[in-house]
Amino acid sequence: MTRQTQSHGLRAQMVPRWQDLLVTLLILTAGTVIGNIFWQFAFTKANIISVYVLGALLTSLFTKSYFCGVLSSVASVLLFNFFFTEPRLTLHAYEKGYPFTIAIMLIVSIITVTLAIQNIRNIEEKERAALLAKNEQLRADLLRAISHDLRTPLTSISGNAANLLANDDKLEPEARQQIFLDIYDDSIWLINLVENLLSITRIEDGRMNLRLSTELVGEVIEEALRHTNRKSSEHTIRVDLPDELLLARMDARLIVQVLINLVDNAVKYTPAGSAITVSARAVDGFAALSVVDDGPGIAPEIRPHVFEMFYTGEHKVADSRRSLGLGLALCKATVDAHGGTITLTDNPPHGCNFTFTVPLGEVTLHE
Amino acid sequence: MNKPLILVVEDDAPIRNLMTTTLKTHDYRYLVADCGEEALRQAATSSPDIMLLDLGLPDLDGVEVIRRVRSWSDLPIIVISARSEDADKIEALDSGADDYLTKPFSVEELLARLRVTQRRLAAMHAGGSPVFTNGQLTIDFAAGCAFLNGQELHLTPIEYKLLCLMARNCGKVLTHTYITQKVWGTSWENDVASLRVFMATLRKKLESAPGSPQYIQTHIGVGYRMMKIE
Repeated sequence: MTRQTQSHGLRAQMVPRWQDLLVTLLILTAGTVIGNIFWQFAFTKANIISVYVLGALLTSLFTKSYFCGVLSSVASVLLFNFFFTEPRLTLHAYEKGYPFTIAIMLIVSIITVTLAIQNIRNIEEKERAALLAKNEQLRADLLRAISHDLRTPLTSISGNAANLLANDDKLEPEARQQIFLDIYDDSIWLINLVENLLSITRIEDGRMNLRLSTELVGEVIEEALRHTNRKSSEHTIRVDLPDELLLARMDARLIVQVLINLVDNAVKYTPAGSAITVSARAVDGFAALSVVDDGPGIAPEIRPHVFEMFYTGEHKVADSRRSLGLGLALCKATVDAHGGTITLTDNPPHGCNFTFTVPLGEVTLHE
Repeated sequence: MNKPLILVVEDDAPIRNLMTTTLKTHDYRYLVADCGEEALRQAATSSPDIMLLDLGLPDLDGVEVIRRVRSWSDLPIIVISARSEDADKIEALDSGADDYLTKPFSVEELLARLRVTQRRLAAMHAGGSPVFTNGQLTIDFAAGCAFLNGQELHLTPIEYKLLCLMARNCGKVLTHTYITQKVWGTSWENDVASLRVFMATLRKKLESAPGSPQYIQTHIGVGYRMMKIE
């Protein structure tokens, strides 16, 4: 939206678009027709002048263009002179006061147009500034969340490595093994975090900059499952797809990341041996993708908050670093940018059901 | 059997160490180069079996290294890139690279890619035969038909064309652009979407478990690859 109005504003200032010229022409015609009706009823000329000034004002409001506003003002004066001053249907005027009437009409009209357009520009500028601020706020929030999330695993990795460097010979094999495992786990966790950064770099103009293409939902799910947590081997992950091919318009990288986040969460927050189902269905012009688990579930009172930026739920105390808040907030931002929705519901008798939608896509096959 | 010789081209010392340690512990022989010119020299003089190439080198762009090697050699090249943008991988693959790995990669992933490439090499040396065999899949190029488990596959002309293209480049990642150019002669957005659909119908006929495909692997945003099956 901002981009469009911005470029529109710039272009309108220099060269008017043909649509704007058409609007100008229509309003001038309407003004002249109304003026003619007033003339028939023998209203004073002041009424007709007012109609033309109003016309110039409306032109500038609709076209947001100086050029059209001024064009309308000048044309109004000429039309008024042509149609409504004696002798009619000429650009001459007999009455003494007319040059003044016409000059004042022109000045009033042009000032009105200028003020109106300045006003529009000011409002647009404020909206842009507000959007930019919101954009910066979102980015700042995300970066703050990330740098917080970076510290803990980095401390663990560097500390553990330092320990190995200094005390390698004094450590029991089991202790060493544990340190290796910790380093590995924490670095994997960092890798996942970095993958999420991609979504943030796509934020521009307060929204995500998507690279849309028509993708097969099945392929996207397959790709996401190849990148999920290695602990997922302790869980049963099942894919449930409809028989017909499901095509959707999406930024595949970002939707893969949404699926990875949802599946990794399901793996992280359910006990080993739990079943996770990733499914997709076509629902009312959208592809609905679900990640469903049979774990302990999330309490109803917490559910509305899980997509908030820093929300970490009840796990906050037990495990401060696993701040899921960011992952789910990014999922929501990504799905919103696609024009879809993401919801969390119950999976009876217990468990979570995260479902999100993206618009369906079409393809013309080239045989 | 001769141990394969791997040329590791990487300017970052810790990553180079990681790769050479991995190679050493898994019985590969290796050479190292820390810049593009050195890589080209080694490739020309030591005739390595596989090149592991980092795209971000100090002197030459990795894609340039691929182009130069390709001007005189079919040496398999696995590109290693820290750039997560698909465009870089696609450029490298279209310039002649065989496969790619994105940093951070796991040790298992690196070894898996090497095995895929070795199998491809072995198949290439045996190659030139009018019949292609991979796992349970057989293609008789001369007769123009394909069989799975001895049963003839009923493929549409486009599906057959796709299958042959993937088979002739078995083990290699083919980009969407490459495939659509070969099959339709153009590469517009709609062609890529069509390709996805044809690939899906082909896989339905080919794969016994579509959820975990055995023959054709998808690389989202990049392309497809037929896996060599032992």
